[in-house]
Amino acid sequence: MKIWTSEHTFNHPWETVAQAAWRKYPNPMNPAVVGIDVVDRKVVDGILHTHRLVSSKWFFPRWAQALIGTAKICYASEKSEVNPNEREMTLKTSNLTFCRYIAVDETVKYTPHPSDPAKTLLTQEAVVTVQGVPLSSYMEDLLTNKISLNAGKGRQAIEWVIGKLDSEIKELANTACKSTDELLSQTKKSLDDITITARRSMDDISTKAKRSLDDIEKFRKSNANQRS
Amino acid sequence: MNSIGEECTELKKKYDDCFNSWFSERFLKGDHDDSMCAGIFKVYQECVKKAMKQQSIDFKEVDKDVLGTDNEFKVPPSESSS
Repeated sequence: MKIWTSEHTFNHPWETVAQAAWRKYPNPMNPAVVGIDVVDRKVVDGILHTHRLVSSKWFFPRWAQALIGTAKICYASEKSEVNPNEREMTLKTSNLTFCRYIAVDETVKYTPHPSDPAKTLLTQEAVVTVQGVPLSSYMEDLLTNKISLNAGKGRQAIEWVIGKLDSEIKELANTACKSTDELLSQTKKSLDDITITARRSMDDISTKAKRSLDDIEKFRKSNANQRS
Repeated sequence: MNSIGEECTELKKKYDDCFNSWFSERFLKGDHDDSMCAGIFKVYQECVKKAMKQQSIDFKEVDKDVLGTDNEFKVPPSESSS
């Protein structure tokens, strides 16, 4: 079992970050997420409770593919609470047993920054447990590194969404756009265009990262051979 | 962002648009009445539940609480399908 925690400050007020969090996908930093659906949502005592199902495509390094398969659609269950009075948003994600050997539980929390209420503090914690396969702790390290990498991307993704929302709103105010529908569809069109261009660069980065993982495996294998 | 079920993506987009407006313009400003998107939500939900059945996603697994309970420290049970 491996535990990973992280903290980050966004230079934006909590309300902006909360709105961006709901609009996080799709974005060029997280191409693995392929589908999200709300399976339950209600307001109870002023708190918004949401339950979402997230599906993402996991690519495993070649040495793990014999055990797990090449690419797999994995499902995760995300439960969240938004408390606008306390300005607190918490999201808890755990993957479902479809990804049999791996249990990942992650908690993400957005609150006003304690030193500056105009900023937002993000705290993240992930617990990774891999059991039933050889080299479990190696895989736990791999996954924890992946989570750390994705967390960096996740933060970039939120900044990216906020940036897009800001510039779209300014542009639309200048052209005196009146209806909410037009505002939303204009934003979407530009986001789609930007996503396509950025996705191409992300694919390139993914390919390079995969090559590095293959190299690590070759190194590990040659080390194992030397020892035996 | 697509839905888990291809056929639900259009409904999902309509619902997401409604939710994002409601969240920014009502909920964050103190209005906790969530009836604004109730209509489209119901239709969208029916589609999602059907798609989940088709893809054999276990409802019980989705609804079960793990974090914050004793189950957090247990190995997940092995499932019959993969």
